[in-house]
Amino acid sequence: MSKLIEIKDLETNFYTYEGIVQALDGINLSMGEGEILGLVGETGCGKSVTALSILQLIRPPGRIEKGEVILRVQDKSNQSKHPIDLLDQTELLMQKVRGNEISMIFQEASEALNPVYSVNNQVSESFLLHRQKELCQDVLRKIEQDIGKGRSFLRRIILKMERRIYLRMREDPSSSLLAILSFLPIVRSYKRRMVDQARIESIKLMRMLGIAHPEEVVRRYPHELSGGMQQRVVIAMALACSPTLLIADEPTSNLDVTIQAQILDLLRGLREKLKTSILFITHDLGVVAEICERAAVMYAGHIVEIAPVDSLFRKPLHPYTQGLLESVPRPGCKGRLRSIKGNVPNLISPPPGCRFHPRCPFVMAKCSERKPALKEIEKSRFVACYLHHQETKKNDT
Amino acid sequence: MREARSKYRFWNEFGKSLKPRVEELKFSIHRITKSPLSLVGLALILVFALVAILAPQLAPPERLHEPYHIPRDGYAAAPQPPSADHVFGTTEGQYDVYYGVIWGTRTAFRIGFMVVGATMLIGLLLGSLAGYYGGLVDEIIMRLVDIFMSIPTLILAMAIVTALGHSLDNVVKALIIVGWPIYARLIRGEILQVREQDYVSAARAVGCSHVLIILKHILPNSVYPMLILASLDIGAVVLVAAALSFLGLGAPVGYADWGQMVSFARNWIVGPPQNPLAYWHTITIPGLFMLFFVLGWNLLGDAFRDILDPRLRRR
Amino acid sequence: MKTYIIRRLLLLFVVLFGVSILVFAILSLFSPEQRASVFITDVKQLRDLQEIIRTHHLDAPIHIQYYYWVKALLRGDLGWSITAHRPVLEAFFYFLPNTIELALFSAPLIIIIGIWLGSVSAVHQNRLIDHTTRTLAIIGWSLPTFWFGLMLLMIFYGYFRGLLPPEALSTKANLYVQSVQFVRYTRINTLDALLNWEPWILLDALRHLILPVVTLTVVQCALVMRIMRSSMLEALGRGYITTARAKGASEATVVKRHARRNALIPVVTVSGWLIAGLAGGVVITETIFSRKGLGWWWARAAVQLDIPAVLCAVLFNAILFVVTNLVVDLLYAYIDPRVTLK
Repeated sequence: MSKLIEIKDLETNFYTYEGIVQALDGINLSMGEGEILGLVGETGCGKSVTALSILQLIRPPGRIEKGEVILRVQDKSNQSKHPIDLLDQTELLMQKVRGNEISMIFQEASEALNPVYSVNNQVSESFLLHRQKELCQDVLRKIEQDIGKGRSFLRRIILKMERRIYLRMREDPSSSLLAILSFLPIVRSYKRRMVDQARIESIKLMRMLGIAHPEEVVRRYPHELSGGMQQRVVIAMALACSPTLLIADEPTSNLDVTIQAQILDLLRGLREKLKTSILFITHDLGVVAEICERAAVMYAGHIVEIAPVDSLFRKPLHPYTQGLLESVPRPGCKGRLRSIKGNVPNLISPPPGCRFHPRCPFVMAKCSERKPALKEIEKSRFVACYLHHQETKKNDT
Repeated sequence: MREARSKYRFWNEFGKSLKPRVEELKFSIHRITKSPLSLVGLALILVFALVAILAPQLAPPERLHEPYHIPRDGYAAAPQPPSADHVFGTTEGQYDVYYGVIWGTRTAFRIGFMVVGATMLIGLLLGSLAGYYGGLVDEIIMRLVDIFMSIPTLILAMAIVTALGHSLDNVVKALIIVGWPIYARLIRGEILQVREQDYVSAARAVGCSHVLIILKHILPNSVYPMLILASLDIGAVVLVAAALSFLGLGAPVGYADWGQMVSFARNWIVGPPQNPLAYWHTITIPGLFMLFFVLGWNLLGDAFRDILDPRLRRR
Repeated sequence: MKTYIIRRLLLLFVVLFGVSILVFAILSLFSPEQRASVFITDVKQLRDLQEIIRTHHLDAPIHIQYYYWVKALLRGDLGWSITAHRPVLEAFFYFLPNTIELALFSAPLIIIIGIWLGSVSAVHQNRLIDHTTRTLAIIGWSLPTFWFGLMLLMIFYGYFRGLLPPEALSTKANLYVQSVQFVRYTRINTLDALLNWEPWILLDALRHLILPVVTLTVVQCALVMRIMRSSMLEALGRGYITTARAKGASEATVVKRHARRNALIPVVTVSGWLIAGLAGGVVITETIFSRKGLGWWWARAAVQLDIPAVLCAVLFNAILFVVTNLVVDLLYAYIDPRVTLK
């Protein structure tokens, strides 16, 4: 599987009154095409910050200090993919990437939707932002049909002018002439065709995603929809332009279990239908087991372990992962729940070296000196722990 | 031995519970010192307070039992420009501007505190009744609030002063009658909001009585918006009182009140053709005093709002 | 929708009823002789004071007085204004056009400039432009309207020798406007000048309008700007803004389409209060600039104890406020789809 996206040594800080919060301290991660990778960790370990950093959506007082996010983009001829470093790009290019190549969906669906605009408006916005040329194509086809119908003389002139405008738009969507035209009051209505076309596309998309009665839903406002439906609309917004990577930031955490299952099914189906890779961020190990192929475990701004889900659950290597899995209550288990002793560290003054070492039952002297790097122990299993580094060294000798 | 240990533990716990409050206080002070505008506001108020307190020293009154009566230096109509005798010049009828603005500071504080103090109390009482008991009491009080708030402050105050007679005392009375609704509505809103919060339900579940809930949970949370409103309101009240005096409905002629002094200046806006700004001091100086006084309170009120509102603190 | 409007209109009557009680309460603070003197238009009538008191039921029990007063009110008889030398209702319509003209030019400016400045200030939070506009806003909010107006007059009329004069029209224009050749359609100077196609009168009227409009606008604009800024900041912190950015929308689109529409909602509510604030400001502004409008009339009435006129002021403003609130609530329901009119 070729690598779709590679994150190298990503560092992000937040400059607050109390001090500099070192939220991400050298994240290393990579995803292949069509893969569902889970990013697991407790609240506050930096999962969302990672997601926002990928899309360069970190705003002051936060700042991405250093690192690389290399994405393989398909260029216009749909052939060779060449890598670009997202953190190096201008805002203008990032706007072309967001919602287009990489999309993101959020935890709180009701917050993610703008309350004063209809569903149609918001889903169409994705199409109108990134798929203008395709929309123009469809509109032109309709105009040709209308011209062919042979209407009145005045109508024909208007249609011919519309055709001119849309041809111009297909060539150059951001031409200044069009900007001027959209300013004039009556002429401005030419946009109506495109908006209508976008609406048709939105309905098609929502039907494909399994939303019942999309023509109805599209006319509604966010507060009129149930939680599950809202999340489906958010997913529709994200998938409008068939992104290669979908970042899902705890999309099911606020939903009840039955809806959760439906949404997970929906997301799983994406991989078959659209070949979308999904970076699934969650704190729920159950969901990880359900939907992810590989999982990366995060703690206090570090990635501590990456492994295929099966081996991760069967034989966790990093002490933190072990602690996590042990603290999950199992049926038939008696006695006290086992928790990891200690507290999550304050990221303004994090522990030196490995950030988990104050709570680690296997701590060694080395652990507080230098941060262990993420090393590949077995095939596609990575751990950042000196325990296992020693073992590899033993294996080497 | 055992008692000593439990007492130690009590104070230890108390000290520990204080620590976050001390942290927050330090943060508040940090915010105040970091924001130049709030420091400016504080400074302005302090300066004015000093002026008001030291008024008898700064501008000794001619007649000790009538300190608010501005002394006149003759009876000529045309105002005289600033000179050695009259630091800020004289206004129409030879009233000393310096004396007027100094004692006018006292008048402003008096009016501000009296009106805002009274309206706060009335509003607090009525608003609490409405908020806590609800039902018919709430409806009646809220209709009353609606009726009073449907008429602009200046207009209603004008009407009441016309009915009661033109004097500064009646202006104060009128402003009290007109001003209490905003406090009542504020307190009622806060109480309604706090009443629904989970921590009040939790307190009830543990067995807290009504009175204790009001005192311990509701009032401390409602006090901050009142403080903010009060400091913004002092400025507004002084402005309206000055406007009423300006129109001739408040302080009598020759009284040390900023609005009254500006009303003198109405006739002397434009000086003789060769020196049109000849009488600038009659209007500019009392006006600047008014502006900075109100500005100080507004800055302070804004600073309070930014600092005390828990949601805005950490922006 | 219709039931909602009907319910609100009923509520309007309840509030008006309450206002009438309030006004009547103020009225009854005066003695019967004072109230009778209101009906006197001629000194000779002083002899008949007791007669007047009897005919107008001014010594009857209070609820009977109220009944007759309301009856007269509904007939359109609000009494006689001594400052205007005509019946109150007539005087009201006589002074109305000048005030409408002032309000017509001020209100849009206040709203547009306030919204624009508030939006800019919020988007560039904590940068120089934000600090500047906020400082200006707070100074504007602290300005005594009457002092500001007088200062403007001193500078632009006194120092600049009559550049921007007070009053509504220059003497020459005034004479022309009152002559036969000029047809008074609306009695609003600027509009009539347009309708009569006399550009020089239009320019003259506009020149006289600049200072009053500036005076009124600056103080109210500060309020609108502050409210817009804080509601814009709140909108910009919400989840849908991050979503819009994640969709690839440009920052300008995010601000204009997503944030602003949500931020305007509280501003619309404040606009209702704005109208109220305008009434108070109008009284002072018209007095300073000697524009003979409603505010000028009411100020003089208060000084000269012209009771019917002052009460007319209270009544009119109450009605205006309640109607404005109804309009604002309907507007609210139109902009915000979450609001359902119960």
